[in-house]
Amino acid sequence: MTPDERRGSLRKRFLLWSGLLSLGAASLLIKAGSPIQREGHLTLLLGLGTVALVAELLLVRYPLRHAYTSRGIWMSVSTPVVVAALMLYGWAMGVWLDAMITFGAGLLVAWLKQSRLRWVWLNTAQSTLCAAGAGSFAALFALPPQPEGLTAENFARLAVGLFGTLTLYSAINVLLMSITVALTEGVRFKWVLRESLLDTPRETLPMFPLSLLLMVVLYLYGFAGLLTVLAPYLALRQAFILYMRQHELYHQTIRSLGFLIQRAHPYTGGHLQRVAQWGRKVAERLGLPPERCELLYEAALLHDLGKTVLDERVLNKPGRLTPSEWKQIQRHPQLGAEILSNVPFLDAIVLGIAYHHERLDGKGYPHGLRGDQIPIEARIIAVVDAFDAMIGGESPSQQRPYRHPLSIQEALAELRRGAGSQFDPQVVAIFEQVVQEWTPLTRKARDR
Amino acid sequence: METIGVSLGVIIGSLGALGYYAFVFLPAQLHRWRCQSLRAFARLIELRTQGRYGDTELMVELAMRLSARLGIPKGERKRLEMAVYLRDIGMVSIPYALLNKPSPLSPLEQLTLMRHAEISAAIAEQIPALSEVAPLIRLHHVVYAQQPDAPLSAHLLAALSDLMELAHQSDYETALMQLQAEAGHRYHPQVVQAIVAELQTRPLEAWAPLRRSAALWLGLILYPLKDLTRLLVEFSRH
Repeated sequence: MTPDERRGSLRKRFLLWSGLLSLGAASLLIKAGSPIQREGHLTLLLGLGTVALVAELLLVRYPLRHAYTSRGIWMSVSTPVVVAALMLYGWAMGVWLDAMITFGAGLLVAWLKQSRLRWVWLNTAQSTLCAAGAGSFAALFALPPQPEGLTAENFARLAVGLFGTLTLYSAINVLLMSITVALTEGVRFKWVLRESLLDTPRETLPMFPLSLLLMVVLYLYGFAGLLTVLAPYLALRQAFILYMRQHELYHQTIRSLGFLIQRAHPYTGGHLQRVAQWGRKVAERLGLPPERCELLYEAALLHDLGKTVLDERVLNKPGRLTPSEWKQIQRHPQLGAEILSNVPFLDAIVLGIAYHHERLDGKGYPHGLRGDQIPIEARIIAVVDAFDAMIGGESPSQQRPYRHPLSIQEALAELRRGAGSQFDPQVVAIFEQVVQEWTPLTRKARDR
Repeated sequence: METIGVSLGVIIGSLGALGYYAFVFLPAQLHRWRCQSLRAFARLIELRTQGRYGDTELMVELAMRLSARLGIPKGERKRLEMAVYLRDIGMVSIPYALLNKPSPLSPLEQLTLMRHAEISAAIAEQIPALSEVAPLIRLHHVVYAQQPDAPLSAHLLAALSDLMELAHQSDYETALMQLQAEAGHRYHPQVVQAIVAELQTRPLEAWAPLRRSAALWLGLILYPLKDLTRLLVEFSRH
């Protein structure tokens, strides 16, 4: 399938899926009927809508995780308001409120950030479905409309109902969102689901106390009490922003270290990027858990970090290296590990870097580890790095006289020859599949 | 009445705790994390330049004490700390041979070496989380006579960088004397004064064993770690 065809089929799938969702949402909204059934419901709808809209706009948006950068999907912060409305004022009110908020916020954000409108549509349909599903559960725990004070029994009812509703809401949300991402980005549903399930508790749990507080205040004091909830909300928002910044910091550190490698030793044609991407693919096929695949991507990007420390006269030497120079080069995995050793949150990738020149038969460097002693990350990086170096992806501008670039088939044959002694046979077998599926566009550039 | 008092207390207490967590604890945590990640950049340059292992930790400590002494505001102090870690990162693009040349440098070589301030700043500018430090890094070899109105933190950074460099060439006392001789010309007089006062209360010799022992400890820890990691890897396989 050419990239164009693939894009076309993804678009078709997107249209079909969003049409299906909108149909479901529309029929639910019609079934709900008007949310204004009693006096005061109109002001409530508008007031709650405004508060939730402000909350939505105050929150910084962030991509779910960098792996599947979903461009337009977000976990909504107005969920506590919606859940409270569902439990206190009934199904119709909650569903309409959620539809209104998501649509309004989506329009505003699309206008401010100039993003695509089609996501607004999809998000609205999706959140309506979530609210409807969760609302049917909330109805079981609904409180009597006239406040008679907050008895212990009422409170327990609220808390249990709230927990269930919130869980159901985010479960439906994750499910629909994963389907959407899987369909539109063409990644496996199972992986997206796993990835987003990992994030969900962290996002949903802070909402529980907030929703409970919101609900108690709404129940006892009505709409005016809502203003007292704003202070904790702001604190929570601040914590959330800082958390996101920390996440960002991690990726920026990795990216800038990768940038430094390229400054010190002129890799060309995206050698590091290719090694990282192939490495991640191999790890995914090997069935490693998603977060380890991500770590592998980062380790592969930084696998030559130690070379920044070495003398570039040795690194770029055109002829054969003397033994002492060779010894210097052999220090680079260890040096790379030492650079990262003081950074606590990069611990996980250090081993992949330290051992990426070890061989299965124990003849590698720096420590001469054997077989299973070498972590799987390092084994994957070794195969992919060797392959890209063999086809001349490492530095085509300065080919060494004794190392003419091989064709892809020759390089694969070379890998097969080394399987068992130098490389892990299983990794080599899987990597062959990955290379066969390599898109023809990039292959043409490299296969001349 | 009593219940109102209790619930008010609970509300105020929890609001305070939440506020402390969100506005004091978490930002501090974030700054610590950031500095820890910057340590990787500093270590890279220390490894590339021979005989500089452990310089950065010493300099951070000194910079923090001196900025407190000079009354540099808190936000600026944080930026100063990050700049100490990042100032020499541009050395990755300076040729290894020049960087480790034992003999004195010719004027042309001196010029090439001095490009590192600009390169470091350019690298920091590329990273959104660090771009606010770039102006300070660019000025980290600022000359007082040329730019007397540069921020005090930049003058402090310049004096400290040169102090470390000079101390490597000779010893701390000579370095300090050179610094004092250049006060008002090359270095900000107020900064030099503060450095002298600080080092009188705690002379640099008192730092040296600390530094040596830090390097020693690191070596002691890292060396068996090599076998330990091997053991761990082996252990996790079986």
